[in-house]
Amino acid sequence: MKKSKILQRVFWIILLALAWQLIFWSGRFSPLVFPSLSEIAQALIESLINGELSRQLLFSLSIIGQALFISLLLALFLSLTAHFSENIAGLIDTLVALAHPLPGIALMPLILIWSGAGRQAILVIIVHSVLWPMVLNLRTGFSSIPEIYRLVGQNYGLSRLQILFQIMVPAALPYFLAGLKIGWARAWRALISAEMLFGAVNSVGGLGWYIFQKRVFFDLPGVFAGITVIVIIGILVEDFIFDKIKNKTVQKWGMES
Amino acid sequence: MIGREVCRKGSINFMKKAAILLLIIPISIVILSSCASKNSENTVTIAEQYGLAYAPVQLMKDKNILEENINNIDVKWKKLANTAAIREAMLAGEVDIGFMAIPPFLIGRDRGMEWKIISGLSMSPLGLMTYRKDIKTLADISENDRIALPQPGSIQHILLAMAAERELGIADRFDDQLVTMAHPDGMNALLSRKEITAHFTSPPYIFKESEEEGIHQILSGQEALGGEFSFVVGVATEEFYNNQSEIYRAFVKSLQEAIEFINQNPGEAAGLLTENYALSEEEIEKYITWPGMSYTMDIRGLDQFINFMQEAEYINSKNMELSQLIWEVDLYEKE
Repeated sequence: MKKSKILQRVFWIILLALAWQLIFWSGRFSPLVFPSLSEIAQALIESLINGELSRQLLFSLSIIGQALFISLLLALFLSLTAHFSENIAGLIDTLVALAHPLPGIALMPLILIWSGAGRQAILVIIVHSVLWPMVLNLRTGFSSIPEIYRLVGQNYGLSRLQILFQIMVPAALPYFLAGLKIGWARAWRALISAEMLFGAVNSVGGLGWYIFQKRVFFDLPGVFAGITVIVIIGILVEDFIFDKIKNKTVQKWGMES
Repeated sequence: MIGREVCRKGSINFMKKAAILLLIIPISIVILSSCASKNSENTVTIAEQYGLAYAPVQLMKDKNILEENINNIDVKWKKLANTAAIREAMLAGEVDIGFMAIPPFLIGRDRGMEWKIISGLSMSPLGLMTYRKDIKTLADISENDRIALPQPGSIQHILLAMAAERELGIADRFDDQLVTMAHPDGMNALLSRKEITAHFTSPPYIFKESEEEGIHQILSGQEALGGEFSFVVGVATEEFYNNQSEIYRAFVKSLQEAIEFINQNPGEAAGLLTENYALSEEEIEKYITWPGMSYTMDIRGLDQFINFMQEAEYINSKNMELSQLIWEVDLYEKE
């Protein structure tokens, strides 16, 4: 990330924090409803030090990582088969049309009965939320590749697999990255709501459970501490990981300015 | 070069403007919120939850008892999914009177909510149910077993912690094994005999589960606390108590009437209640007269809950005298 962009981020974050603190100082809202920044910071540091928050954060991140990986493989498989066979394409498009608008939370009662309330259930819900938008993006990506790219590959005598991995996947990469970004955001949403509903698994509950626990024990600074962690991770991943991948690939290859 | 200079100046100007704008936002929020409309004089909003323990409140609503006891009043009813939602609505000033169990009330009081108990509503059998034959006591529950209950901090959770303290010496022994589920979901999960080992629940779910083949009770609420206790109490905010004392009186009178009605005519009450619970008239009558199920304004078990929750550090405040917890202590000093 460029220096100027980092400075901008910091500037706006400080300003937003200042606006928050001003509202708090105005005394218009009860501190029960609107805690001060220092209370939130204190709750955050306390939870980090006693290990509660860091353990739960690690748990959440590991589930998200796993779910993204599974979704990625599935999405690649589905969109590639759809690309090569028109009959299967019809089936997959129908599946996407059926499942994409369906919120994971709506499936919760079914998942509860079928796979219980464990880690597996959370995984299923995240994969459901991530998979379909990813398939959509990849499908668009593959179909936007000009036919001539493939023909050039054939002229060079490349095999089908070589065409796939050396031409088609790189050519669809901008769409692929966009799908990954959407998937990442949706994975977080699904994760937090699933964890809030399902509670702790083998002594660790994840961030959603952390926030829910703070809520039921009426600890608002704690709730905000949990939200702050989600926001920070969101910014870090967006600004560093996704930006870096983009710079090293599509930008370097001149596919995107 | 010149172009870049201009550009940089432009962006600094923009940032200045944006900064000013951003500082205006909190100020306008503060000003606007002070004009937000307050509740008008003659309305009261009452919030309850699902379950047979709330039956008198349901009757009060269906038979318009409160409307009969005070002239031209606008009564609004809300049914919320859990106590946390009721507490948040009361904090936001949207709800005046809420029904909940004693532990969530104490947690709110401990964190500074300005509210107190009006009266008791019901006492009820609660229990930890399981389908596993090998589990006879809490000691048989292993670290891999999971226990479903409405939420941490609920009466079910505190009772479980009380029993864990008494039987195993560790109050938070099961705190990391809880699954948050509304009673109907918890019952389904228990009946499907997967993932969840036990379910801490209340009527009518506890009755349905106990009638199911192969499901037995590990622990009852009374065993956990070591005595009788109010399951549901009515709670009013300070603002409502101070500013709407006339409605408050009428509400207390109506609650009393509703409780008397259900105690004297359980059959008729069951008939009125069929629409509100997906149960037949016979079932409701059987359930509301079940041993251990009783509707009364007495408040019981408050001391036990306070002592335990202070000891186990679910609440921190030491200042928990009756006058701080109940609006009109002289009326209900029946501990």
